Amino acid sequence: MRSKFEWLFIIITSVITILFFIVIGNMFLIPTYEGFIKALFSQQMIFAIGLTLSTSVVSAILVILCCIPMAYTLSRYEFRLKWLFKIILDLPMAFPEIVIGIALLMFLGNYGISRWLGFFGVNLVFNSAAIVIAQFFVALPYAIKMLYSTFNYVDSRYEFVSRSLGYSESDTFFNVTLPLAKQGLFATSIITLARCIGTFAAVLFVGGGILMKTETLSIAMYLNLSTGDIDMAITAGILLVIISFVTIAVMEKYVKEQYV
Amino acid sequence: MFLEIKDLCVDLGQFKLENINLSIEKGEYLILIGPTGSGKSVLLETIIGFYKENSGEILLNGEKINNILPENRHIGIVYQDHVLFPNMNVYENIIYGLKRNKELSEQEMDEKVKEIAKILEIDHILTRDVTTLSGGESQRTALARSLIVEPDLVLMDEPFSALDVSTQNKLISIIKKIGKEKNTTFLHVTHNFNDIWNLADKVGVMKNGSLHQIGSVFNVFSKPANDFVADFVGIQNVFEGKIKKNNQNHLVNVNINDNITLVSSDVEVCSHLEDYTNVLVTIRPENIIFSNESMNSSAKNILKGTVIDVTYSGPIMGITVDVDGIVFKGLLTRSSFQSLDIQVDKDIYIIIKSLNVHIMDRYSSFKLEKS
Repeated sequence: MRSKFEWLFIIITSVITILFFIVIGNMFLIPTYEGFIKALFSQQMIFAIGLTLSTSVVSAILVILCCIPMAYTLSRYEFRLKWLFKIILDLPMAFPEIVIGIALLMFLGNYGISRWLGFFGVNLVFNSAAIVIAQFFVALPYAIKMLYSTFNYVDSRYEFVSRSLGYSESDTFFNVTLPLAKQGLFATSIITLARCIGTFAAVLFVGGGILMKTETLSIAMYLNLSTGDIDMAITAGILLVIISFVTIAVMEKYVKEQYV
Repeated sequence: MFLEIKDLCVDLGQFKLENINLSIEKGEYLILIGPTGSGKSVLLETIIGFYKENSGEILLNGEKINNILPENRHIGIVYQDHVLFPNMNVYENIIYGLKRNKELSEQEMDEKVKEIAKILEIDHILTRDVTTLSGGESQRTALARSLIVEPDLVLMDEPFSALDVSTQNKLISIIKKIGKEKNTTFLHVTHNFNDIWNLADKVGVMKNGSLHQIGSVFNVFSKPANDFVADFVGIQNVFEGKIKKNNQNHLVNVNINDNITLVSSDVEVCSHLEDYTNVLVTIRPENIIFSNESMNSSAKNILKGTVIDVTYSGPIMGITVDVDGIVFKGLLTRSSFQSLDIQVDKDIYIIIKSLNVHIMDRYSSFKLEKS
């Protein structure tokens, strides 16, 4: 027998979830089947899918490699100005993605380090490298936040015990801490990948949104919407929804409750 | 000394360990007791190297280990909640510490695991997932994991507090056996006085980050260094009084009030005190003898009072007697209680030997006793 309180909360959750489903699902009804297939197998869409997946995988790997030591540092070590480090790393989550895009464009472009990088023939704007950088900066703060919580859940006494048994700090990290954090690490990787795939504003500014050059799925959606090609725009949107759904579903299936 | 801690201070911001001094001989079993938040666990984790001391020295086997990394100190630790690695089974937990020893073959490691598992009676659960173990099985596994690498010193943080009495007793006898056979040195923190009676060679009493007293079990329980120790170790007869030395008899008289004077043989404690200095007097309840008649005996303290309360605790009776406004608490067996026909409001004599009247200097409440 459910209480009135329980019913009320279940109803609120159900109504809003169904609303989400209708809003997102509505997109699937807009294009015709022929229009969808044509857009899906167009050269532009295939390029966008390839570019999105390749840059996102590279960005996600870089984010995970950087966020493991950073999240562990913030979780375990005390040092001066740690509070300031945490605010700086959380900051991009609080302001619009477009701000990161403009900031990165200024930093990497003609107002920033572009002049010096130019000497070495390196260009980090309006190309695939720029997309990776944009995705990295957008996804990193979220990844650090998630993994920081994971490391906080891993009782540091496991590490104490391991070290008392003769293992060094680094051996303990790889033998004990990381295996105990593997569920959180897996979830962080999936969310990071999804975040990289969905990055838009920062990628638009730093990548330049150039057709068939820096055109990721989200950029393809934007460009085609601007030119009135609704089938292409919606197909890109549907692909983003499907990719996100699969990644989240994989995470839900494999990430059980933390046992530490 | 095997383990020696000198003037150890640790500042963790909201909590401090202050001027800890203690020592343990090889093979000795030291138990630290104290209320929650007294710093017992912090002290263990400082000894093992997880907290950095602000000052003071930790010497193990004569070697200063302050700057040695925890992995090189050869000190094992066993926690109250076992802290078994949940991603490993029992066997993998136990063998974990051996695996970094490249000199041992797989077979030698396997033999060692089976040997320690047999001693701790967990050889039948080696393949079990640690999340399915009972409290006793978990604690035996944690002990096996710690002992298998043969540490120089084993630190135990309330190891039995989550276990039932029968499991506690089994583990106590196993630890006693291992300690004796391998001459292992233990430093154990607990709230449970039974651990002290069963295991300790020495006892330390901590409060608010300070070690108030350390010494043999007998000394700490019979001669507490201050009122906190007296209260914590359960001495229920603690009185304030003024001393008057009687140098001829090598005794000290303590005036508790106008009518009651207790005679103590703690002359040494009072040697630096002037007559009429305020002191505290402690008498353990079990050191009070009850009689229906005044008797001619060697005991220097014979007081007449009235029974005001009787409490029952299994075979032991607690008797509370009022002597001219001062309340004394003593213990009796049920058979003695019956043979004396003790009842509330009945007059009774209490008899205390001067040896059992202990004096504490009231105004030097922090006194470190080395014994």
